Amino acid sequence: MNKVMYLEFERCIGCRACQAACRECGGHDAKERNYVEYVNFFENRQTYPMMCMQCKDPACAKVCPANAIQITEEGVVLSAMEDKCIGCRNCTFGCPFGIPKFDFEENKMYKCDMCYDRTKHDISPMCASVCPSDAIRFIDHDEMMDLRRRRTQMNLIEGKKPSENDKWEYVPEFFGVYSD
Amino acid sequence: MSQLEKSFYSKASMYSFVVVTVLFFLMWVGTGQFSHMDWMLFGYMVSSFIFFIGITVRLTSWLMRPATNEVIKRSIRNMKTKKRQKRNWRAITKTLIDNIILQKFIFKRGLYRGVQHWLIAWGCIGSLAITFGLTFGWMHFKLIDATTYQMVVFGIPTLEMAPDGFLAQMFFEGLNITASMLLIGLAMAITRRIKNHDLQVTQRAEFDLFPLYILLAVTLTGLFLTVSYKLLGGWMHPQLALIHQITVVVFLIYFPFGKLFHLPIRPMAMSVPMNYQETPEVDTKTCLGCDELYSNDEQIADVKAMLGAQAFDLTNEDGDWLAEYCPACRRKLRVMSQLNLPKKTNSKPTPIETNNGIHMPGFGRKRSEEFYQSAEAKEEF
Ligand code: SF4
Ligand code: SF4
Repeated sequence: MNKVMYLEFERCIGCRACQAACRECGGHDAKERNYVEYVNFFENRQTYPMMCMQCKDPACAKVCPANAIQITEEGVVLSAMEDKCIGCRNCTFGCPFGIPKFDFEENKMYKCDMCYDRTKHDISPMCASVCPSDAIRFIDHDEMMDLRRRRTQMNLIEGKKPSENDKWEYVPEFFGVYSD
Repeated sequence: MSQLEKSFYSKASMYSFVVVTVLFFLMWVGTGQFSHMDWMLFGYMVSSFIFFIGITVRLTSWLMRPATNEVIKRSIRNMKTKKRQKRNWRAITKTLIDNIILQKFIFKRGLYRGVQHWLIAWGCIGSLAITFGLTFGWMHFKLIDATTYQMVVFGIPTLEMAPDGFLAQMFFEGLNITASMLLIGLAMAITRRIKNHDLQVTQRAEFDLFPLYILLAVTLTGLFLTVSYKLLGGWMHPQLALIHQITVVVFLIYFPFGKLFHLPIRPMAMSVPMNYQETPEVDTKTCLGCDELYSNDEQIADVKAMLGAQAFDLTNEDGDWLAEYCPACRRKLRVMSQLNLPKKTNSKPTPIETNNGIHMPGFGRKRSEEFYQSAEAKEEF
């Protein structure tokens, strides 16, 4: 896998195409695994997309008593194995970003796996392939670094000026796995 | 315990030693001090020992994982607590019936999958029970007179039955019945694996398909043995028996290390109603951020202990664990810190204050009582 996911939250226009795309994915049972939420509904209608960070050392897997959350060799954190998950919901509480979802009917957890079947062949995940405003992108590592550099120059965050020391704190996050 | 543990290389080797000793002893009792060993079953016996050692090693290492350990520790503590006995037993019975015997949650994933899994699971468990019973000599059948069979369990004579009675038929046909269940279930599972394109993307041949094929091999060769001695007059029986034995040996040796290992860990599902959420979808703990119910105290305590045991420091500046926030609040925390807009996390979301106290908020709504009072107070002056 040579590409990374790149999120720019404030580009989100709240169309929820990414969620629709996620629902379409085979094996997802028409349930989306990503989120589009309001930053502060009382203030404005700004939304942000949210999906799994594919942590290097995933807390969700570490709190799973059944060892149901597997990590691929590329580092993608997969949805719970259906045969092992005992439905305790520990993962939903362990994850620092509130990502795993739980299905009470079928008694199992399901989470974003970055469309592993696609991304392992360097095909963009469903959400990134439909996002009309490029809030979610699946791009080369170099391109991502370029974008981040440009953002530090543009100083997009109102009222705060990044300095040489902390400028990286002012750029959107990228995540996912890459081998370079 | 820890003293004893030091005499061994590891926990796993200690428990394996215990298991092997117990098995050996039971075999010794069951076979009348090895006087009526069935040497035809030798291959089965050796592989059964490997099966049990494998299961023990795997279970031990699984129990040593911090997360599993935490859950089991709490389960044991709860089992010992007098006050919780009622809840414990309710949890155990409910899990046993719903989750293990009826496997309701799989039926909810689809009727086809439910039927398929139920047939395979119970076919497998039934066959395993009969196989172990026979190979370790835990039970055998004795003809006491011309019309009565007797079942001997661990050398103790028990049930008596007529050789052509229903009970006897059930016992003698036991393996055939479980094999037929397996055959139907396996045919369904393999059809699903071939037909369903979604599954093909993620399935792994050695992980998802191999257990099905090895089970199919065991079932078919086993059933063919019956066909051979019932219909074909024992045609090729010794050869077939050998082939069947080989397939069973492979199956038993594979069992603890592959997909089928989910069978011995499934009973842990009972710790969910016992330790955590008693009734599904009813929460009792509130989120620090939004005050909504999202979990229960025991579970969050366990999650924090598990994270702590593995050196995760998932706390915010206020010193609160992220696990104390509901998932939605945690997602928001991530976004806000990413956008460099740290928010006072402990406060409930409130509307932005747009009422300056001078302009009426519209639609003729009254102002707060205090506004009029102060106005009246002013008039008096
Ligand atoms: S819900 Fe399933 S995947 Fe999540 S921690 Fe529990 S057993 Fe593991
Ligand atoms: S679910 Fe949460 S903890 Fe697990 S990999 Fe994704 S972001 Fe990390």
